[in-house]
Amino acid sequence: MALNVKVGLIGKFDMLKFKNMKKVREQAIQAAPAKEISGDFAININAKNLHPDCMELVIDQIIDHGSANAKSFVFKRADGKPFPYFRAGQYLSLKLPIGDSFVTRSYSLCSSPKWALDGRAAITIRSNPGGYAADILLETLKVGDKVISSDPQGFFYYEDLRDKKTVVGLAGGSGITPFLSMAYAIRDGIEDFELILLYGSRDEANILFKKELDEIAAACPKFKVIHVLSDEKKEGYENGFITAELIKKYAPEEYSVYLCGPEAMYKFLKPEIAKLGLPERLFRRKMIDVTKTVWECENYPIDAKDKVFDMTVKQGAAEYKIKCAANEPILVALERAAIKAPSRCRSGECGWCRSKLISGNVFVPKENELRRWADIAYGYIHPCSSFALSDIVLEVPGEYY
Amino acid sequence: MAKYDIVVVGAGNSGLSAALQSQIAGKKTLLIEQHNLPGGAATSFVRGRFEIEPSLHELCDFGPAENPGDVRNLLDSYGVKVNWCECPDCFRIITEGSDGKLLDATMPAGIENFIDAMEKEVPGSRPKMEELFELFDEVLRGIAYISASAGKADSKVLQADYPNMLRTGAYSTQKVFDALKLPKKCQDILATYWSYLGVDLEHLAFIHYAAMVHKYVSRGAYIPAHTSHELSTAMVERFRELGGDVWFNCRAEEFLFDGDRLCGIKTNMGHIECDYVLANINPDIIYGKMIPKELVPEREKKLSAARDRKMGGRMFTAYFCCDKSAEELGIKDYSIFLSGHADSAQEYKDLLGGIKTNDYSIFLCYNIANPGFSPEGTCVCSFTTFGSPVDWNDLPQEEYFQFKNQFAKKFLKSLKDKAGIELEGHIEEMAVATPWTFARYLNAPEGAVYGYETTDWDGMMARLQMLATDYPIKGLRPIGAAGPRGDGYSAAMLTGQLMARLAIKDLSEEGGNK
Repeated sequence: MALNVKVGLIGKFDMLKFKNMKKVREQAIQAAPAKEISGDFAININAKNLHPDCMELVIDQIIDHGSANAKSFVFKRADGKPFPYFRAGQYLSLKLPIGDSFVTRSYSLCSSPKWALDGRAAITIRSNPGGYAADILLETLKVGDKVISSDPQGFFYYEDLRDKKTVVGLAGGSGITPFLSMAYAIRDGIEDFELILLYGSRDEANILFKKELDEIAAACPKFKVIHVLSDEKKEGYENGFITAELIKKYAPEEYSVYLCGPEAMYKFLKPEIAKLGLPERLFRRKMIDVTKTVWECENYPIDAKDKVFDMTVKQGAAEYKIKCAANEPILVALERAAIKAPSRCRSGECGWCRSKLISGNVFVPKENELRRWADIAYGYIHPCSSFALSDIVLEVPGEYY
Repeated sequence: MAKYDIVVVGAGNSGLSAALQSQIAGKKTLLIEQHNLPGGAATSFVRGRFEIEPSLHELCDFGPAENPGDVRNLLDSYGVKVNWCECPDCFRIITEGSDGKLLDATMPAGIENFIDAMEKEVPGSRPKMEELFELFDEVLRGIAYISASAGKADSKVLQADYPNMLRTGAYSTQKVFDALKLPKKCQDILATYWSYLGVDLEHLAFIHYAAMVHKYVSRGAYIPAHTSHELSTAMVERFRELGGDVWFNCRAEEFLFDGDRLCGIKTNMGHIECDYVLANINPDIIYGKMIPKELVPEREKKLSAARDRKMGGRMFTAYFCCDKSAEELGIKDYSIFLSGHADSAQEYKDLLGGIKTNDYSIFLCYNIANPGFSPEGTCVCSFTTFGSPVDWNDLPQEEYFQFKNQFAKKFLKSLKDKAGIELEGHIEEMAVATPWTFARYLNAPEGAVYGYETTDWDGMMARLQMLATDYPIKGLRPIGAAGPRGDGYSAAMLTGQLMARLAIKDLSEEGGNK
């Protein structure tokens, strides 16, 4: 028997109903008032407040850390808006004017997330003789200066669904900053975990935030700091380097390990961490800038090291011809040429600088290979962590600052 | 100044499809995208050693090579090549049935298999299920006829060849189920797919439901081997190969007009001159923020007011990358629908009630469909539900991180209680995306990826029949999920293609009139 489905009482009426769909819709439309359309939605406004495309920040206060050779910069937003709330451990990527161009530098937020609620946030820059940006910035930045910043970035923060109740933090030098923010967050009741911090410095005078760390530890039983001095032996301090043995000395039975420090510390600690036998999920490290000595990387074609290549850069309708040194990330060549291309983390992690390699070859260090599968397959690179091996044609995205 | 025939704004599924169609038709086409990568929701993100799929559960209407669906045909016609994996079953549903008892059913793909499985779950249901699939088939053929006739369907043909479609099409799915006298348990199981359209069965036109379910069951479902970023990147690269230009991190700020005719776009990368824009942007945002107020037609204001911001599918998704394999964690199913009860109308109300009443999530384990999805000895899972403005409109920032994890914890508990699967203790990387997240990356109103609810008077069929009146701005057409076909990857791609064709037609008619 042929299919004969009836929903309403009379079949003919249903057909009319079908044909009338258009009429019914037009009636519903015409019955509504001709109100002005608003394109604003609360959820979208919330999203923009938490993740602005970029922010203009004003330096509100500068704190000099004396013998620790560093300064903290307290920012407010130039437009007076609240500072986006963040997870302790996240960083800001700043666009800093040096000469004719902007260079991107990322700095962990070192203030309590609580400060964001009254519009403030702080980062710390430590002197780095021989480096490119830090010392210029320490000398030139003054109260009232404006800088462009990203929203808070990165995944170096506590996750109670993943981590153990105790985190053993391993900090070296200026790598203390994300941990300071975490310690504040614990003290302020924003984060709920125990932090045992092993902090490596050269000597006592060089310890950054010694007073602040001691104060938090005195006020908050969930936070503890152990200073490890490499160049000085002194009562009340551990001496030498942070090792697996030292970690075990202070760690409880179950713990996660978080690491933030200079490149040399990461290299030194790699075998030490392995000795702890932790599953991968319980070890996290803050991604740091791509190596400054790419030629020392495994599989690097050493012949390329001192070459300088021609690079054609396309951005929208514009085209630039510039030079690109093999031993620096492609991003540096873009910055030197004052091309306003996107970048944030300088480690390959965030992918914000993702660009299309139209032609040419690049080298990507293994630890910075964090591209999506299809990006590798279709020739997209992260210029912040890619090094030219030939002449290059690159298409870069636009920017919002 | 840059000059193009057609500029497609927004490289989501609909925009990618529109750009390809336009370029293939010989128009000089520019695709601009506000983010630094294509796809909109069809993207991916990397955490540690994992690449995570943010949105695609199952691509509908793709089908195997020997039984291709519209989307396979569309991608083939564009010359887009992607590595595909077939999803093993249609779904598993764990819920409380209408009879108050636990309902736990796994439904396979393929019409015969599906009806066989239903017969096992609901003995005696076979004849009714066969009738239902016969009706689905007629509806699908009827839609194809109507689409092919481009608004000039012959009512005699409709009455002669598609009488059941005419008699059922304008009713809600629930009414048709009842009229067919489908056993209640069959209805409970069949209701599972409602959330893919984001409208409960009492308000979802049967014709729309029938088209989707028939496609899923008859052709199965597919996912790209390397997340939907593979799909969108393959589309972008094909578009480039055909001569199209793509600008990333380029946001359309305003549409520029010469009189009442669009002539260009103001963007953060400068002005672009063009004859036509296909905007993968919700019409409320276009009319509310991007064109001069005096050019917004009265009817569009009324249409917007009639829709009253009833957005579909404000997405909420939690992603978990585990350091154990699916097998070690006891996961056997690709997708498990975990819901409070089988009644979709009640369930939808509960979803919109926010975290207190929301007991709905779809659990996925990508490695079941694609064993190579993540490194050996690991797997990636996700939970998806709909967010509600109740939760997300007024949430203070300082409560955001805790609040989203509360949802994630609720999901994990529900999976443990209902399916006996425990992920906690094995989570290596995780991320939680809320309606704020989707709003952030897509700029879609309220983070709603489904556009306006395709409900009652504003259903797919009614929209498709009103293409001539719904696009009043000269040189500008919105595309995407707010379009005639509603939400979903396949619907968005088909809408993109349709709108590009209509734009090209508009241009040639205008040219002819000059």
